[in-house]
Amino acid sequence: GVFTHLEMLEARAHKAAVKQEEAEQQEEKLARLKARVQELRRQRDELRAKVELQQKGRGGKEGVASDPAQPSARAVLEWKIKSLKAMLQMFYLTGISGKLTKRGVCFCIGTAYEGTYLDSYHLDLLAQPEVRIYRHSVPIFIPLERIAAKYLQSDLRRFLCVLSDHLNAYAGRRFQADQLQEHFSDQLEGTLQRNSLCNLLVFNYNVTSQSQTFLFNVRLLYGDLCCSLPTEVTVSCTPGAPACLAETAAAHSDLFRRTALHEAFRSFRRAGENLA
Amino acid sequence: MDETVAEYIRRTILKIPRDEIKTMLQKWGFLSEAQLQTINFHQIKDNISQEVVQLCEENSADIKQAAVLDIIYNHIYPNKRVWSVYQMKKAGEETEFFDLTEFKKKFKRRLRSALKNVTINFREYEDNAIWIRIAWGTPYRKPNQYKTSYVVYHSQTPYAFVSASVLKSNLPLLCQALVVASNYHDIREMELRSHSLNSLKDIVFKRYSQNFQTYCPRPLQERNVVPESADLRIIQENQNEKERIQRLNREAFGDGPQPKLEFAQYKLETMFKSDPKMDVLDRKEPFRCVVKFSSPHLLESLKSLAPAGMADAPLSPLLTCIPQKARNYFKIREKKGFCPGSFVSP
Repeated sequence: GVFTHLEMLEARAHKAAVKQEEAEQQEEKLARLKARVQELRRQRDELRAKVELQQKGRGGKEGVASDPAQPSARAVLEWKIKSLKAMLQMFYLTGISGKLTKRGVCFCIGTAYEGTYLDSYHLDLLAQPEVRIYRHSVPIFIPLERIAAKYLQSDLRRFLCVLSDHLNAYAGRRFQADQLQEHFSDQLEGTLQRNSLCNLLVFNYNVTSQSQTFLFNVRLLYGDLCCSLPTEVTVSCTPGAPACLAETAAAHSDLFRRTALHEAFRSFRRAGENLA
Repeated sequence: MDETVAEYIRRTILKIPRDEIKTMLQKWGFLSEAQLQTINFHQIKDNISQEVVQLCEENSADIKQAAVLDIIYNHIYPNKRVWSVYQMKKAGEETEFFDLTEFKKKFKRRLRSALKNVTINFREYEDNAIWIRIAWGTPYRKPNQYKTSYVVYHSQTPYAFVSASVLKSNLPLLCQALVVASNYHDIREMELRSHSLNSLKDIVFKRYSQNFQTYCPRPLQERNVVPESADLRIIQENQNEKERIQRLNREAFGDGPQPKLEFAQYKLETMFKSDPKMDVLDRKEPFRCVVKFSSPHLLESLKSLAPAGMADAPLSPLLTCIPQKARNYFKIREKKGFCPGSFVSP
């Protein structure tokens, strides 16, 4: 009767409700999955864009971020350092350069002779309580103490100039003597007598005249320590040599007074080759 | 040829290492190349020296030539002798021209005027070094060739390097002759001694590496620091301290090789500083004690003390001032005055 009919209706309602719940759950699940798909799609697109950006950046010169017209701060700094180094290098090449130290100044005096750079020498000066030399690498035979006694306290610039003159002249004299021994030893007879300052050179060399070889002796005295040319030249030939050689000796003497030693011998060699 | 000369040459040859004998004889130049060819340099030294003496007999060698051979030997092996440094003072300020012939003449004359029986030989080398060999005799005896003094002098410098023989009594005479010959007026011995002649030269001629601050571009290779370990798991904890030590060491010793000295000696005459309450000494007298550092290469070992962790950096200036003050013998006394301290005597 009625009871069974009611039971049947109740069961039918229950079934419908369960069905509806299931449907709702399905819908929810579907919506969630759809959202997930959307999210994954979005991520994929992002990564794709990134990869494309990277590939473009490696191939091209600038990244997409920087503007070629405006150099980065790093590039500016590097350029500044480079030009500063170049200026310091330039000062170093002029011959006298200095650097401030904790207690004074450290000077570097470079020497050169007619286009060839030679040794550099250093002076570490203290400023307090008065200007004095703390240490240095100036050769012992350069009269540093004498020059310092005269100028160091009163006129630092003059001190450096005078010292630089001494060092450059010494370097020049030594260079000439070294060049003579290195390149013109075939014209020399015996050893070249020199001294530490290279301000007295005595040697013998060969002179050919009328297919005969004569021995000349020369004594070069460099009286001025700031000069790389001799102040006194004595050229003498062996006794018994023909009188015409006296003229040659005088000419050579004059040449040694005016030109660099190795240049003089270079001209002798050329003259000899011209005659031959 | 004199017997003594023959024996002297024989003994000199025996000193030379066998492989070097031929080169040294060639440098000597007394025996001709043809004569040298006849000698078998592969036999024992005794026989080589006999053959050499034989050839010298043929050429009638005298003591002068034998002395030259001795100079050559000592020039190649200077480190077998102990060298001291003498400093000369000049009165005037005139420029020196240094005539070598004048120098030799004056030296010989001065020495011979005081002592007739001396053998004096000179030899000049490329670096302006003049080597002087003196064999001493007495007024009644001929010079003893085995008791020689050597002097190495660079022209126009105030320094002379002397390796005296056992006969110390001849030193004043030697100094006199040096001063007169080189146109100086005073000479004194410096507190600087070593076996290495070249290192002594480096110190007084200021040829050793000093660390000057300049803008001079240094070769970049020096700046390349090779990473000590490529393993990134190892981290240097006290990198800062290491770098500080390196920097201080560099300032004190410079970059290059150090001059070779064998020892440094400090004579202390200082007061014992103790807690006044303890009053250890009842007499207030300075403590006398001598501290001597010895090493095959003293300055290099001092340089490596701080990096090895065996001493604190910076090292005591008493140790680092050695090349600059050009001395390795020091006397340390109390500073007289209000502040107790110590100072190094000049």
